[in-house]
Amino acid sequence: MDNRLFFVLGDLLANLAVGAAAAWLSWLIIDTGWNMWLAMVVAMCLGMFLGLLLFLPLSLALGAMEVMIPVMLGGMVSGMVVGMWCAMAILTPAMAVFVGAVCGLASINLVWVINNHVRGSYTPKVGSQ
Amino acid sequence: MPDNQTQQKWDKAAKNFDLMAGRGAETRWRPFKEALFAHMEGKVLFLALGTGLDISTFPTGKNISAIDISPRMLQQAEPRIAAYDGTIEAQVMDVHELSFEDNQFDQIYTSCTFCSVPNPVEGLKSLRRVLKPGGELRMFEHTGSKYYPFKPMMSLMTRITEKMGPAMNRDTVANVTAAGFELVEVNNLFLDVVVTISAINPE
Repeated sequence: MDNRLFFVLGDLLANLAVGAAAAWLSWLIIDTGWNMWLAMVVAMCLGMFLGLLLFLPLSLALGAMEVMIPVMLGGMVSGMVVGMWCAMAILTPAMAVFVGAVCGLASINLVWVINNHVRGSYTPKVGSQ
Repeated sequence: MPDNQTQQKWDKAAKNFDLMAGRGAETRWRPFKEALFAHMEGKVLFLALGTGLDISTFPTGKNISAIDISPRMLQQAEPRIAAYDGTIEAQVMDVHELSFEDNQFDQIYTSCTFCSVPNPVEGLKSLRRVLKPGGELRMFEHTGSKYYPFKPMMSLMTRITEKMGPAMNRDTVANVTAAGFELVEVNNLFLDVVVTISAINPE
C-alpha cells in the first residue's frame, strides 16, 4: 500500500463514502418483500456501478487503479450485504449507511492485505506465463 | 500510415487528457516512474509521450527520441518538451510501423502504453526490431489482474474504457514474453495491476 498520509486517509475516506452511498442506494430500492438472492445480485451490481461512477471524481485526487479497484469492490460488498439485509428485515437508513461504511472500510483493508502479499519484484521463470 | 481509428481516439482525448489522467495518479506513481526512468542511458526511445506528463520524471540532460500516435497529444506536450533540461525529439509515429532503422536504440521506455496499443504483441515485436541485441525494455504499465474478484471487475471496466482510451485487462507481462523479450524482473507496485517490467532483447 501507499503509505503517504494523504493517500492512506484518502483511500479510507473514499471507501467509507462509497460503501455508505452504495448501502443507502440499496436501502432506497430494496424492500422486505424481495427475494433475498435477487436483492443480493441487484444490490451488488448497483453498488459496483456506483463505485465505478464515484471513482471518476475520486480519481482526480487519489489516483487510478489504486482507487478504482477498492471502491468497486467496496460498492459491491456493501450492496450485497445491505441488499440482502433489507430483503430479510427492516433496516433504518442510518443503520444501512453505517453497515455500508463498515463494508467499505473492510474492503479497502482486504485490498491492502492482498496487496501486501502480491506486491514486490520477482523474476518470472521461462515458460511460467 | 498510422492506425486512423486509434489516432482519432487519442486526438479526441488530447484536450482533456491531463484531467482524465488525473493529478492523483501522477502524484501516486511519480516516485516509481522516477526510479524507473533514472536508468535512462545511451540512445533512448520513449513511447508514448502523450501530453508529456512523464517528462517531469525524466532525469535531466538526456537525449531522448519520443513517439506518439496522436499529433494533438504532441501539440499539447510542446511546452513540457521545451521546458525539459535535455533534448526530446518527438515524432508522430505508430508503434506498429516504426520508421527507425533496426538495432538503433540501447533502451526503450514505455509508460501506460501497452494498455492502449491495438495489437500489443506486434507492437512489442516492432520495438524488438529497433532495440539493439542485449538492449533493455523498461515499462511502467497497468495490467489485468489474475486474482478474483479483480479480474472480472477489470474486464467489466475494459468494456467501457477501451472506447475512450485504455483497456484494463491486458496481460502485458505475457505479451512481452510472447514478443520474444527475455523478462528480467516484474515489480508489482499495486496488486498485480500496476507494474514495472524489465526485459532484454536476447542477443
